[in-house]
Amino acid sequence: MALSEHAVEEIKALPGRFPEVRSAVMPALDIAQEELGFLTPDAMSEVAGLLKLDPGYVEGIATFYSLFHLEPTGRHHFSVCTNLSCTLRGAVEICDHIKRRIGVEKFNEVSADGLFSLEEVECLGACEYAPMMRYQHEFHYDLTAEKLDALIDAARRGAANGR
Amino acid sequence: MAADALRGSHGPARQHLLTADFGTPGLHRLDVYRRCGGYGSLEKALKEMAPEEVHAEVKTSGLRGRGGAGFATGTKWGFLPKDVPGPRYVVVNADESEPGTSKDRYLMENSPHLLLEGACIAAYAVGAHQIWIYLRGEYDKPYRLLTAAIAELRREGILGPSPFGRDHLLELQIYRGHGAYICGEETALLDSLEGKRGQPRSRPPFPAVKGAWGRPTLLNNVETLSALPWIVMHGGAEYAKFGTDRSRGTRLLSVSGNVEKPGVYEVELGVTFRHVIMELAGGPSPGRRVKVFWPGGSSAQVLPESMLDTTTDLDELARVGSMAGSGGVIVMDDAHCVVRAAHRLLRFYANESCGKCTPCRTGGNWAVRTYERILAGEGSALDLQILDRIQDSLQNGRCLCALGDSAGFVIMSTMKYFRDEYEEHALRNECSAERTAAVHA
Repeated sequence: MALSEHAVEEIKALPGRFPEVRSAVMPALDIAQEELGFLTPDAMSEVAGLLKLDPGYVEGIATFYSLFHLEPTGRHHFSVCTNLSCTLRGAVEICDHIKRRIGVEKFNEVSADGLFSLEEVECLGACEYAPMMRYQHEFHYDLTAEKLDALIDAARRGAANGR
Repeated sequence: MAADALRGSHGPARQHLLTADFGTPGLHRLDVYRRCGGYGSLEKALKEMAPEEVHAEVKTSGLRGRGGAGFATGTKWGFLPKDVPGPRYVVVNADESEPGTSKDRYLMENSPHLLLEGACIAAYAVGAHQIWIYLRGEYDKPYRLLTAAIAELRREGILGPSPFGRDHLLELQIYRGHGAYICGEETALLDSLEGKRGQPRSRPPFPAVKGAWGRPTLLNNVETLSALPWIVMHGGAEYAKFGTDRSRGTRLLSVSGNVEKPGVYEVELGVTFRHVIMELAGGPSPGRRVKVFWPGGSSAQVLPESMLDTTTDLDELARVGSMAGSGGVIVMDDAHCVVRAAHRLLRFYANESCGKCTPCRTGGNWAVRTYERILAGEGSALDLQILDRIQDSLQNGRCLCALGDSAGFVIMSTMKYFRDEYEEHALRNECSAERTAAVHA
């Protein structure tokens, strides 16, 4: 799967923002990941080619930082904090509930319908709202089973309606 | 998005130097921020003060860095060479990721312009024209607010060739992190900003001399920079009237865990943790007691309930064998198991080790496996000895940065105060805590 013309143009424009081209690697991988859902070896090579860098260098970046995904995730991906402040307020129970409701056994497993996945993440810096998670580029606070059910149901309805 | 009512300091109070205007509707917008007096300090600095005078006020204020190390801000600024031609940078450390710490997010979400104004003041004072904000990748709302705020500043010419008519070009860009705790360490942050794997550099050279892209670089934390507008407006001497002899001013503490009113509270330095935890944050739920607290993020050595009267003075915390760190106060009540909490944190440190230094790369995982053995009921006296050896090998300058020390502190300090719980688990496979499953994912 190749990157779109639009993504290629965006990536080519990145190096001009920085004193050195390497600083463009992470923003470029963001663009690729946003388009493809996760970073395939081909996508990393393409990014490397566009920035005139070694593919191994780009892969070394992608594998170091946890916000880059090298495997598919569900279209609805829950990143739940399970560090201390959140677990003291029920984050483990929230994770167990999500697993049951989306039908997965483990973290980072994609549900059979491809719709959902759940990732355990480290402290997201919103500890006064624990337990909390990041979902679709938003923080969600004071998590309860009911709040998760509402989000999961909305995602399923959206998928059924072709969104 | 879920409702997120302000949980923490806002509105006027004697000790609300940074947060007095928080809660004002629309404070994230330039017009509202300016109506509250915003950018008056930058204007004052640019129009009425020489860079050296701004620097002098910061020295007089006694402000110490709020990121974790607590180093004197004015002294740090002084490390930048005066006479080196070519670019120099101000880099804002907005990569907040110390467990239990949310105060930089609180600052940026409530008043993004406060940080931007502070960063511009710092740039003027050290003769820099380009500011980089290294912003934690997961901080979506701060990113949106800061991006909008920067656009406002460019439109108004506050960023540009002549802010407030002064011939001092100011430019500012956001660089987003991508999920690596280690990048909060300032030299790892610089490597990451340069597009590399974030791994700490050996020092010297220090970033002030050879920082981002090999240029002189000032790195300051969000809260540190956010204190500058107040200091410039009221003077360093006024700021120094707050706090204690060696810990001047106020700071924001993020209080989380088993308390009734978790939140981000701005306090005058020198108040006790009893005040912070029991009064401001409401203490544990009725019938529960504080068992243990981390006074400065998960990397600060734990203190037991009997030490609640310790104050927030940076040096006092060091004296009692802990540290003020990032100001993240994590409270755990007596329903929870210390050994399990320590295991949870060791998983974090093992996971976030960048792999550069051997004691940290292998020691963290080794500790995790030992905790797993103990918690599975397969522990022994030998395992306690192993933990003791690991905590020592992680500390005392054996690693390039503090991540190794932090992992060691968790083991060392929990074993120091809760040896009996470790023995319960390791020797007798018992646990006296009620909520045993809580901190295990």
